[in-house]
Amino acid sequence: MTSTSKNNLFQLLHFVGLSSAILSFLFVLNNFLIFIFGAPGLINTVNLSNAFGTTSPASGYSIGLFYFGILQTVMIFAALVFAGYCALLKSDLQGDARQLDWFSSYIVRAAFWAVLIVGITDATLSFLRVEGFHNYIFGEFGGAVIALPSARGLYIHIPLIIFGALIALRDKSVSLIWLTLLVVVAEFLIVIARFIYGYEQTFMGDLVRFWYAALFLFASAYTLKEDGHVRVDVFYAGLKLRTKSILNIIGTLFFGIPLCWLILVRGMWKKTSLINSPMLNFETSMSGFGMYVKYLMAGFLVVFALSMIFQFTAYLLQSIANIEENHSDDESSEEVNV
Amino acid sequence: MELFFLALLFLLMMYALGSGYPVAFALPGSAIITIILAGMAGYLFESDSGAYFIQGGPTEWLTAGVTNFRGIYWEVERDTLIAIPLFIFMGIMLQRSKIAEDLLVTMAQLFGSVPGGLGISVVFVGGLLAATTGIVGATVVAMGLISLPAMLQNNYSKPLATGTICASGTLGQIIPPSIVLIILADQLASAADQAATARKELYKQATGQFTMPSEFNIVSTSAGDMFLGAFLPGILLVGLYMAYILIAALIRPSIAPAVHYDGKLLERTFIFKVALALVPPLLLIFLVLGSIIAGIATVNQAGAIGAIGAMVMAGYKLREGSTRAFYPAIMTILSLMSIWAISSKFNLNIKTITDLNDWYGLILVTIAVVMLCTGIAWSGWRVFKTENTLHDVMSETAKTTSLVFIILLGAAMLTAAFRAFGGEEVVKHFLSSLPGGFWSQFLVVMAVIFLLGFFLDFIEIAVVVVPIVAPILLADPSANVTAVWLGVMIGLNIQTSFLTPPFGFALFYLRGVATKAVKTIDMYRGVVPFIALQLIGLGIVGFNPNIVNFLPTITFLSSETAPPPKNPRLQICLENYQFEYYAKNEMLFLQHLNNLKTINYEVLSRPQTKIIHAAIKDAENIFSQISAIQSIKIAMDIAAIDYIPIHTEVRSIEKTIRRYDAEIKKLRRDLRATDSLAKRQNITSDIAELDVAITQQKTLIPLDWKQTNKEFTTITAQLQRERQKFRRASDRAYSDILKLIQAIDEIAKLIELDNKIHQIMKDGVFDDTSLKAIISTANVMDKIIGGTNAANALANARRLLESDEDNLNAVQQELKTALRVISEELSWRQSAKTIMYDKLSNFEIFARSNLGLREQRHLTPNQVDAIAPCIADHRNISLYF
Repeated sequence: MTSTSKNNLFQLLHFVGLSSAILSFLFVLNNFLIFIFGAPGLINTVNLSNAFGTTSPASGYSIGLFYFGILQTVMIFAALVFAGYCALLKSDLQGDARQLDWFSSYIVRAAFWAVLIVGITDATLSFLRVEGFHNYIFGEFGGAVIALPSARGLYIHIPLIIFGALIALRDKSVSLIWLTLLVVVAEFLIVIARFIYGYEQTFMGDLVRFWYAALFLFASAYTLKEDGHVRVDVFYAGLKLRTKSILNIIGTLFFGIPLCWLILVRGMWKKTSLINSPMLNFETSMSGFGMYVKYLMAGFLVVFALSMIFQFTAYLLQSIANIEENHSDDESSEEVNV
Repeated sequence: MELFFLALLFLLMMYALGSGYPVAFALPGSAIITIILAGMAGYLFESDSGAYFIQGGPTEWLTAGVTNFRGIYWEVERDTLIAIPLFIFMGIMLQRSKIAEDLLVTMAQLFGSVPGGLGISVVFVGGLLAATTGIVGATVVAMGLISLPAMLQNNYSKPLATGTICASGTLGQIIPPSIVLIILADQLASAADQAATARKELYKQATGQFTMPSEFNIVSTSAGDMFLGAFLPGILLVGLYMAYILIAALIRPSIAPAVHYDGKLLERTFIFKVALALVPPLLLIFLVLGSIIAGIATVNQAGAIGAIGAMVMAGYKLREGSTRAFYPAIMTILSLMSIWAISSKFNLNIKTITDLNDWYGLILVTIAVVMLCTGIAWSGWRVFKTENTLHDVMSETAKTTSLVFIILLGAAMLTAAFRAFGGEEVVKHFLSSLPGGFWSQFLVVMAVIFLLGFFLDFIEIAVVVVPIVAPILLADPSANVTAVWLGVMIGLNIQTSFLTPPFGFALFYLRGVATKAVKTIDMYRGVVPFIALQLIGLGIVGFNPNIVNFLPTITFLSSETAPPPKNPRLQICLENYQFEYYAKNEMLFLQHLNNLKTINYEVLSRPQTKIIHAAIKDAENIFSQISAIQSIKIAMDIAAIDYIPIHTEVRSIEKTIRRYDAEIKKLRRDLRATDSLAKRQNITSDIAELDVAITQQKTLIPLDWKQTNKEFTTITAQLQRERQKFRRASDRAYSDILKLIQAIDEIAKLIELDNKIHQIMKDGVFDDTSLKAIISTANVMDKIIGGTNAANALANARRLLESDEDNLNAVQQELKTALRVISEELSWRQSAKTIMYDKLSNFEIFARSNLGLREQRHLTPNQVDAIAPCIADHRNISLYF
């Protein structure tokens, strides 16, 4: 393989990785625009709904939504152009990797703060409701808001999530690891309530489950970054950095990124898909007086998929950079961490 | 074609794993690629994207995979998995705060003077504290770093030192509370569900009956059961290891010399140090395991207690030497003690509390709880502030948890793909075609797991292999093994695999941290005896399933939710227990029965006398019934000698036929779906071939099979009938006598009612109060044996009173009738009380443990002890299938 063709291949990979990452974000964004606000999205704008098995309203779209659809389409092409520019002209692998890494950690951090605030708030509200205090404290109307899943979602959870995303902008640490302590404390509170006060309610278990699911799904990207996911290193351990990097590129492209895309596509293609359906309906658990956050737990998979795609892409670019660097000054075998 | 894609899946997986890409993504990645390729190939060549799937199409299977992801945390049923991060937190906290290290060092000082004492301490600590981290690597590395230098310094031979470390590092995998046991329990529980469905189907096909008796059900498992089940085998292994080291040290003192502690063993500071290093961790483990074993706390709650406890311990350990080191720990302990004291004095259940006094108790306990939380938070603050420990622990916990769960998630996708291409059928077919039934299947599975153990870690095997093979092994009625036993055997097996050169995981990890002075060959030589010990352990547990099943069974039987003696699952063992009792105590029983016979029953009414005589006769007949059952059992055993081989053969032929039938069905579906003539011809000829094969198989069934089968099922049906008779007779005899006793016991109540009615009559004024009195009397009366007539009379009186007409006389009449009935009832009861009461109740008390055993509400602890081993054992039930 000559140096230029290899270079071209790397540029192609750079382009593919970047565009897949940006598109995944746009996919999620558009998914909510389409199913909440009825926006047409790319497929219906360019009139391919038959080929992709999606549906469009029989009456067509209003003018506003039609232009919005065009905007959505333009955004997608703009993303491709931007990815192309980064890959071909700028071609700053390390810089792009850092950007992607930052964004991945930002998603997780925002999700962490959201989960923390929503968890505490919703558990408190559920406690007030199950004990029948909500009407005293919040009045007739406020009590009704608390008792209704969609109202609690719209007027309480969503503002809190936005607030969490804002806090995450200021926070610079790997805050998600605190979820481990939160799970321990929440479960310990169950122990105290049960064994000392003989008090047990569904929402207490719900809070633990809410944080524990968040813990292992959100921590995955961080674990990948720290190379904490288990490898079968019978052969791997003895390989050179170059070979390792090549294997990692192949693995990331064919095993890692497709998994995340699969979650997004199968989970969000239709209104009834298994992430969309609970999220759009503010699904709650069957057991009545629990927390109203089950729909958010479906959303955890989106956080997982997005943060992983970005982290994987960063990993991909870093691996390419490792090879190129290795090539240019033959010697250095030091692994540069993202 | 499905097989081609199955092979492709396998190859891709081999590549993906071999290339060293993280397992969590290699598994689902290769599954996704294969499913998509199969879908595309189907679309291209057969214009049907689902053509190469056993059923459904690529989108369904991919969606199924994603649904499986969500399933890990979506439903309450899988909540035991929550215990995993809790136990990881506890384990890492103990390690990071050097409590584990301290424990080892102190143990070594304490037992060092015993031959091999240091080695024994390593085994002990390894077994105790390695438990909580599920990753073999982490455990072995930690043990290697702490104890290898110490052992080598004290002139332990290199093979013995390395062997001990490797073995005790892997030991933690099966000693509770270990997270792999939780994962195994999770996987085995769903496997047991599948196996139960399969077994029910099998029963339906074999007997033609729709519902399988519940005594044939599969014994499932939970994380708590798994902990209990692995406990004794774990202790057994620890014992074997220690015994080996001790014996080796005694035979050749040079390989494990005694270590002499410089200071005095009985010095006060040393004793204090030992107590401080030993007692808290042991107490914590004891608390965590004990609360699970005693059924007080769920596994998750125990995990939280463990994590918090570890944090409190770290709180003083990290400030070692400072005078204030123990303040938060002491505060925690004091508040715990006061909580315990308060809760034993007051009712603190916040929902049922009414008494003012208890409210004071509640306030007191809340103060104590606040103190407790302050103590814990204080410890937490120290851990947070000192050397960044809390941050490190949380970070490690987050990473370890994530890696465990993302593997679970990935394996869920892989399982979906494996099913999509009919992999389950292939494995099932392969296993069921093995000669020798369950045990050969079991051995093959164990061998495969052993080999996989060279490449995959415990968690991967648990989530990839167990869901595939466990349902097949569990469904087999001939071995009828419990899920817990299977899990523990798999655990022991993988653990052995980790030790085995040249690929064993533990060896790699130890190699990584051992000094160059230790040669690899030393390690290989060192682990050989431990592998032998492992195999001995496997053999012992394999042949004595009771070692595993006993603790879960006895905990279940003596728990608050224990089944009553009438539960169908207990019947066989209960019967054995009863038979044994009758055989030993025949004379005693007859003696007691004779006491009943000598009673003069004339005071009783005729029907009553009849009932009692019948009961006595039933009780007398017990022995003939027992011998009838036993002779049928013997007849069945004799018949089974000829029957078993034919039965096995025919059932396997029928299985083959069923498989062919299923294939034909699938081909017919394909036939309907395709238009191509050539293909249609192909399929039709395939169907014809299968038809021929089926007829051929049918000829293999011996001609006299129907007759033989009928004869045998007649015997089993007869046995069943006799058993029913025996049980019914015992129950009836006992409960009739009991009823008579209860009737006599009601004398006081009858007198009270009698007085009440007299009172009503004496007042002579029938107003609302007397109406109410009559109603309440009638209600009580109705529940008294033989009181119906009196109750009816009272009800009449009430109706008359309510009817507004003036018929006070009639009311008086009815009341008199009631009084007459009562006095009749009273009179026979009173004479019966003097004549027979003592004898009857003597007999009743005696019969509680034999004749009336099934009628009791709970088994007594002694009975539980007696029947638990029988219930814990595996019972072959294949003849009923």
